[in-house]
Amino acid sequence: MLRTNGHAQHHAAPQSWHLLVFSVGGRRLAVRTLEVSGISQWREVIPVSGRTPFVSAVVRLNKTVLPVFDLAAALRRTMGGNSRLCLRVKHPLGDTVICIDEEIPVLQTLGLSMIQPYRDRDMPAEGSYAHGQEEVPILAVSKLGMGLW
Amino acid sequence: MSVSGKREECVGPTSTSPPRFVITTIGGRYLAFEAEYIQGVLTSEDGEFLPAPVVKGMTYRVVDLAVRLNLASERRWDGTEVVLLADGTCRGCVWVQKVHGILEAHRSQVLPLPAQFCGPERGWYRGMVLFDHNVALVMNTAWVLEEQLEGMLSRTELQGTESAVALQGAMESKNQAC
Repeated sequence: MLRTNGHAQHHAAPQSWHLLVFSVGGRRLAVRTLEVSGISQWREVIPVSGRTPFVSAVVRLNKTVLPVFDLAAALRRTMGGNSRLCLRVKHPLGDTVICIDEEIPVLQTLGLSMIQPYRDRDMPAEGSYAHGQEEVPILAVSKLGMGLW
Repeated sequence: MSVSGKREECVGPTSTSPPRFVITTIGGRYLAFEAEYIQGVLTSEDGEFLPAPVVKGMTYRVVDLAVRLNLASERRWDGTEVVLLADGTCRGCVWVQKVHGILEAHRSQVLPLPAQFCGPERGWYRGMVLFDHNVALVMNTAWVLEEQLEGMLSRTELQGTESAVALQGAMESKNQAC
């Protein structure tokens, strides 16, 4: 499902980050590949009434039930398309899934020198990089839902 | 799925018996109640129930679970049934859309609520139970009946009886269970 872009991972310099670039409601984001557990087709969610911000549903994957972090709502974006994807990430409290756009995510390797602090505060980020005129935040998965950004 | 037909008697578990749940639907969502707290199920042909049904001399005040779970906008449904709950001396009943039956679950089917749910809902649910391709949230009976217990406490305080102390202790133990 993934295609590569830029430098292949095995050619990367030691001082680099491997990223998975995807989009949510048309907003481009990245996440470190070491924080990704997998990608699959999005499936029906099971709503869970509660008061935790942006965590209000679960999905069932065979015998596992994972919480859904509504990143689109956190970013005030509207998801489109009928073939959304499910990004499973490694959260300190347990794997979490995020609904992402149907556009196939791209693997990318960045030298550390290209990574800058993320200036905006609309999401927890480990940094960002420039993609043309666009600043692409690198999502800090461990801080999702922690209210630390 | 091993959901069997509806039964009206209470199912008392033993320490070795598998957990049993009554699976219901409220507002289109699967909610499970631990069978040991179920006193019975009332089914109405015309969908009308008294505000506080009396069964075998016991009054069961209605717990509006749809409102408490913020399902108020999804509250209208057909074929309402009522689940009678009791936890010690505390009783209440819950209107549900449908009672699917009793699920005798294997331990591996019962999961905790993911830790990412960190709000007060951790006290609302006892966990989740898997069945078919679905997931039912297991309600915390102590939380469901919380208002009934508080009501009992208020009435007792008004009467000025000594049992208020005992009820207060009972309520504290319920809250700790949450």
